[in-house]
This record gives sequence, C-alpha cells and structure tokens, in this order.
Amino acid sequence: MKRAIPVLSLLFLLLLPLAAAQPSRGMLPLPETIRLSNGLTLFYVRVPDLPLVSFRMVLPGAGSAAEPMENEGVSSIMAELLTKGTSKMKAEDVAEALDSLGADLKIYTTPEYMAVDADSLASQFPRLLELTFHSLQDPLFATQEFDLVKSQRIDGIKAIKDNAGYAVRLYFQRAYFGDNPLGRLSSGNETSLNAMSVEKVKDFYKTRVTPRGAYAAVVGSLSSQELKALLSKTLGKWKGAGSPAAPLPPPPQPKGKTLILVDKPDATQAYWVLGAPGYSANDPVTPSAAVLNTLFGGRFTSWLSTELRIKRGLTYGASSRFQTFLSGGVFTASSYTKNDKIAEMLDIVFSLFEKAKSGFAPEEIESARNYIQGQFPPTLESNEAIAASLVQLMAQGKSFSWPDEYLRGVSSSTPETVQAAAKRLLPAQDYVLVVVGKAAEIEPLLAKYGEWKVKKITDSGF
Amino acid sequence: MGRILFSLLLAGVFALPVFGQSLQSRIESYKLANGLKVILLEDHDIPNVALYTFFRVGSRNERPGLTGVSHFIEHMMFNGTAKVGPGQFDRNMEFVGGANNAYTAQDMTAYSDWFPAAALEKMVEMEADRMQGAAFVPEVLESERGVVASERRMSTENNNAAILMENVNATSIMAHPYHWDVIGWMSDILSWKREQIQEYYKTYYAPNNAVLVLVGDFKKSTAKSLIEKYYTPIPSGKTPSAVTTVEPPQQGLKQVLVKKEAQAPLYMAVWHTPSVSQPGFYPLSLLDKILMKGESSRLYRRLVREERIALDVSGGIQETLDPYLFTVFVEAVPGADLGKIDRIVEEEMGKVVREGVTEKEVQKAINMVQNDFYRPLQTIAGLANALGQAELVNGDYQKLFSLMESYKAVTPDSIKAISSQTFTLNNKTVGNLVPEGGAQ
Repeated sequence: MKRAIPVLSLLFLLLLPLAAAQPSRGMLPLPETIRLSNGLTLFYVRVPDLPLVSFRMVLPGAGSAAEPMENEGVSSIMAELLTKGTSKMKAEDVAEALDSLGADLKIYTTPEYMAVDADSLASQFPRLLELTFHSLQDPLFATQEFDLVKSQRIDGIKAIKDNAGYAVRLYFQRAYFGDNPLGRLSSGNETSLNAMSVEKVKDFYKTRVTPRGAYAAVVGSLSSQELKALLSKTLGKWKGAGSPAAPLPPPPQPKGKTLILVDKPDATQAYWVLGAPGYSANDPVTPSAAVLNTLFGGRFTSWLSTELRIKRGLTYGASSRFQTFLSGGVFTASSYTKNDKIAEMLDIVFSLFEKAKSGFAPEEIESARNYIQGQFPPTLESNEAIAASLVQLMAQGKSFSWPDEYLRGVSSSTPETVQAAAKRLLPAQDYVLVVVGKAAEIEPLLAKYGEWKVKKITDSGF
Repeated sequence: MGRILFSLLLAGVFALPVFGQSLQSRIESYKLANGLKVILLEDHDIPNVALYTFFRVGSRNERPGLTGVSHFIEHMMFNGTAKVGPGQFDRNMEFVGGANNAYTAQDMTAYSDWFPAAALEKMVEMEADRMQGAAFVPEVLESERGVVASERRMSTENNNAAILMENVNATSIMAHPYHWDVIGWMSDILSWKREQIQEYYKTYYAPNNAVLVLVGDFKKSTAKSLIEKYYTPIPSGKTPSAVTTVEPPQQGLKQVLVKKEAQAPLYMAVWHTPSVSQPGFYPLSLLDKILMKGESSRLYRRLVREERIALDVSGGIQETLDPYLFTVFVEAVPGADLGKIDRIVEEEMGKVVREGVTEKEVQKAINMVQNDFYRPLQTIAGLANALGQAELVNGDYQKLFSLMESYKAVTPDSIKAISSQTFTLNNKTVGNLVPEGGAQ
C-alpha cells in the first residue's frame, strides 16, 4: 500500500456527515420518515440497483460515556452479548442463523451511542431484521456467555500491547481523557474487567437500551410496503424502559504539557500521538477546520505527510484529524519513525503547528476546497453510507440538508477563516503527547521536551 | 451505481444471470495496437470517475536481491517523471479534487484514482505519462527507500502476526517466489540499485502488460478518444519472461518457531493448494468459510467457544496465479498450549477429510460469498477493482459474471475430495510464535 493516511471518505463519514452533487435534490436522498409508537424514528430510502439492504441504528445515551469508570467496558460487553443468545435461541443458534444468511450484524458502542449495523442480501433481510429485533428485545445474558466474553476481554488487553501502533492510541486516550466519560476505553481495563459481573451488564442494558429517542435507517432494494409489514412484526414491537440520557460533559481542556513515555523494549520504531482540544459537532468552524485538517494532515500531500514522509522518508504515514462530539472535540496528530529519528520528527511537527498559524497560501486553500468537494460524492455512494449518514445527522441534531450547508461552507472558506481556525485549534503550550517505543534509545532524545512520566508496557492498565 | 441494474427489481429476487447481463452489456472492452487492454463502464450516479490501472507484476516476478522491488516501484510511480516533478502527481490530482492509492500483491500492482468527472483528461494524461516515464530521481529514491523501510518495520517487524506469517510462508514455500513477502527482505530494501530498479520497471511497465479500467461519469466516446490520444504513443515492450519455477512437492511436516517479545502466543498452519485456475480452488474457498468465517464456523466454535484457547481464528485460500497456501491462523490466549491448538486443528481437518461437510454448510458458505460479492459492486471504485482483478487473476473480466456459478457448482463431495489431497501431514507447515524466554 502506498498510503497510511486513514481513508478519507470513512473519516468524513464518521465526523462530518455528508454531501454530493445535484443541488436541486441535495446531497442526501430525502428519506421517508416512519415514526413508531415506541419512540423509534426510522428513515427509509429505496435504492433498487442491487439486491442488497443496509440497516443502521443509533441509540444516543447508550454509549460508553454512560459507563461509570469502575465499570469501564460494560457497554461494549453488553453490546457483544446482545447477539449471544435470546430467550428463544442459544448463542450457537443465533450465530448459525446469521452465518446461514451470509449476513453481517454488528452491535457496538461509541462514546455517545450504541450502534447497530446490519447488512444482507435483500432476500435475507426480513430474517436478519427479525434476529436483530430479538437480540435487542430478549437478550439472554447467559452467565456462560458473559464469562467467555470477560475472559476474552482480559486476554485481549494483553494482545493489544503486542502491537505498539495500536497500543499507543489507548495509552493516549487514557492520558488525554483521564476519567472524563468521553474517554472510556471500549476494551475496558484490568481492574474494571476483573470486577465485571453479568448483573452490571444487565443493569446497563435495562437503563440504557430503549427505542425511545433512537434513530434507524433502512436503505436498499426493499419496497416501502415490505418494510412496513416487516416493522410491524419486529422493531414496532420493541419495548424498552431506558431513561433519556443526560447531556455529556465536554472533553478535557489540558493545561500545560503532559508527556508520557511507554517503554516497549523490542520496538524498532517509536509511535506517538499528540492531542489538544478541538471543536464540537455543531461548531460553525467545521468547514474551515475541515480545510485546515485537509492541508495539515488529512490527505497525502498534507504538510505532515510532505515534511515527514515525502521529503525526508522518516515514516510510512503521518496524519491528523479532528474527532467531534456534541459537547466538544479533540485534535490529534500521529506518526512513527525509527527510534533514533523521533526527536527530529517531533521538532518538525511542532514547527508545522506554528507555521500553520501564520496562514496557508490561497492556492493551497483552493486545492483543499476542491479536494473536499471532489471526494465527497463517493462517501454517499453505497446503501450503508447513506443509512449511516441519515442516522448520524439526526443523532447530532442536524438536518438532512446539513451536507449541502457544509459543502457551501467549504466553498466559502478563505485563507483568513482557515488561519483563524488554525490559531484556535492547533496546539501551542497545552497538549498531551504519548510515545510508545524502546525507552533505552528514545528517552535521552525526548528529554528536551520536558518531564516525562515513564511506564512499562507490561505494567497493568494504560 | 446506476439505474443500469434496474432489471433486477423485476426479477424481484437474487438473480445473478440478470445482474450479469444488464451490467455486462454496458461494458465495452478493447485493445490498443500497443497491447493495452481497456475496459469501460459508464455509470452516472455520482459525478465521479474511478480509473484503475493494473500491471501484471508483483513479488511473483522478483528474484533474490530484488525482493520487494515491485512494491517499491509502486511507491516511485508517485515520485516524478520527466514532465511531472516529484510529488506533483499527487498535488495536481488533489488540486482537481482527486485522490488515489495503490497496492502491490504477489501477482499484480494496481493504481487507483478517484476524481470528479471534470478531471478526466488530466488524470488520463498523468496516468499515461507515468506508465513508462517514472524518473527515479536519485535523492528521491533514497528518501522513498526510507519510507518503505519504515513500512516494513511497521507492518512486519513490529507486528507479531506478520512476522510469524513471513516465517511460515518462507518455510513452506522453498523454491517459488511466493517464498518472500510482497514487502521484501530488509537487506534487499536497503540494497536495490537504481539501475536494477529501472531495468525491472522497463520490463514490466508496458501497455501490453497492463489493463486500464474506467468506471463512472463519462461518455464512452470521450474516454476512448482521450485514451487513444495519450496511450497510443506508448510503445509496447517485450513480453516479460514467464515465471517457470514450480514449487516441488513437500515431503514431510515442516515446523518453525519464532521467539519474540509478546504477551500472546500465535499459531499458524499452512498447506500447499491449487492456484485459482486449477480444480479444487473453489471447493477450498468455500471450505475456508465453513471452517473460519463467522462464530458458527467449525474452528471458531471449537477453539474460541468450546476450548477457550483462542481469541480469534482467521485464514483461508487466496486467488493466486500459481499454487499458494491454505492458511489457518490462531490468535491464542496468553499462556495457551500451542501444541493443543495444533492437535485440535489436525482433528478438525481430519474430520473434513474423513466425513466431509454437509450440504447445509456449503449453502451457508455460498450465502456468505454472495453477500461479499455484491457489496463492493455498489460503488464505482469497487466495480473498477473487481473488473480489473478478474481480468488479471481469472484471465478475463467477464469471468466476474460467472464467478458465482463456479461457487454454486461446489458439492460436499468435491470439498471432501480436494481436502483429502490437501490436508496431509506431508503437505503441512506449522509455525508457533512464543514469548521470548517462553517454553517451546
């Protein structure tokens, strides 16, 4: 592969739900809205091209941010256990049924919501939605299944630490967020996992998983009549007693520098993530920030990639991104290089932050605007992409014309608005920097940046 | 996707022949005099185009000392020609709203461009320019060598699963160039000479060794005249020499042990298999789903759920031009007895050999293949990639439309027959990765 830059279309899908071409229609096809009496709102778009159907659903307030710190990981375990047996079917039967359809059903949590992704051939979709409904309505939470998942999670944390590039993200998340709810690790931690019980899982389910306030979308070759008949037999009958979620606190605003070095003695490269405050999902800076990130670390010719990879060959990949929540956001930059090059690399990164604040050239702004516009239509091409956009926009309190507004904002961003975004959003004195690497070789090189807290990768926790 | 497949709706159900006909009839394919194969498909759903260029070159065409060079050339294709300076390809492309990527495999190297319709001429011009125009500027080459070395450190050396796979594959395959990984050995990465790289490039980057696929928002007549204009002047090259090395039959169990800083041990087993065009490929491809895809699969159920000795199981067979491997890869729980995992894998393979699989399992695997087959075809990029791969690997893009028929022809008996040839001890290589200082 040539690129290590995260696939941009995916990034946009997650962070900046959407837009495409014909202005008359809007970027997103306007869906039919179906409101169910249990409080679930469902959007439907017919795409007859291929015999496929995609289903997406989000349950705001049922995400990992609703976990108390001592139960870290409980929402993720709960989500996994939903497909591990119902009052009528054993876990093996559910797995057999799903695999027999050749379908995919994934239930997982993000900080802000629980999500359900289900995809299948159109002919198998009725059965898939039925299985999804039973998983949500009658999960068994069998002790035996819970024990298996729990032991897998405990072992999984150890396996994560064998991969420095993956582990550095979890160490960063812990260092940046501390006990802020938006920073819960979906993996859980050794302490929370050891204390985890099936009662805690059931309790999370009872209080959080409800159709009230949830958004779903069905996109594909199914007809409206077929869908409605199906809904009356499935999701229309879904009941849940969960309470509406309390608004989440904003993510942390670090003051000063936090420097953490994790010693992994066999690492031949040093991996780092640097983070600082970003912006919220509804912040009007969004289009200018998108242009800024495109130029700074969001595409192959970005400054980070040009200086670290293209000009100097220091790394295979270097990138930056803005992660947004309703209550705020986080900026992160990350890369990796040979142990002896780590300081050279970080010096360049810090100098680029400063340079960006003094502005970008007009032709750079034009290039980034074209790039964002040109790469946007493919992010709404598939059934699953349209369905995901519909539910994410609603969960963020936006309208279906938001993608069009976003793209208009991108076209009208200027060197001035992007510079203002850079001054506001790129780190200066206040940030968190985490490095995973061979301390014996990199610690002396890192000393000039300040006081480092040194951990061993074999120490418990992150 | 276009409204081109509307006829499916009338069929009302999954109906491959209808899908195939409606799409197939809209594809135009031809060869230029210099040998370049062109595949065109108009699709006006989104105002974008996917342009994919495939070259018939990969690690399969390399030799000791030059391992990894196919992948390195993939990198250098973005680093300048006589007309377009280093890095300018990407800058030009991004300026007109385009993005790109590329990948190298054992049998092919592919370049993918996704861009707004208005950028079509610019992109065809730049792609044609770099087909034979890569400059290999010495200082840029050295910098890019560092990038690829970093890629190897990241993707192989600091990745326990990749290190084990590299060791096992190289132990199992001793003669054929599939012996080494696509990334190449580190000492080769650090030692390729510019002239050697250029010679290799000259041999394989020629229109008669390439396939151009365009899918998206353009008029075929426009695309054809642009292709004519920019590609016709490129001379064809000599036909590259065939890869003639045949892996000799394995004559006994091979084992390899890797010791590494690790908290979780890893297990892997491989067996030599047929190539994509040989009998037995499709039965083995369905068997890999029966054994390892989904939580109801045989090996997952046994190792992860019943014995609780593994976190995950993955693997299978790949579509390759020459015979390659059937892989079982097991992420073991920390402290697991890898010998026990091997005994269980052996038992399960033995069951397939002796008792076969059920009709129901075969149908389940076919459903999985169908779902995976259609999903990428929703996008212009997915279509372009699928058409190009079918042309290179199966010898004709039209085989894409009969692929499901090949799967549907598989029976439990055919799986049993190829399994008894494949899963023998003499044909097997086992690899263990254990924590440094840990027990063997």
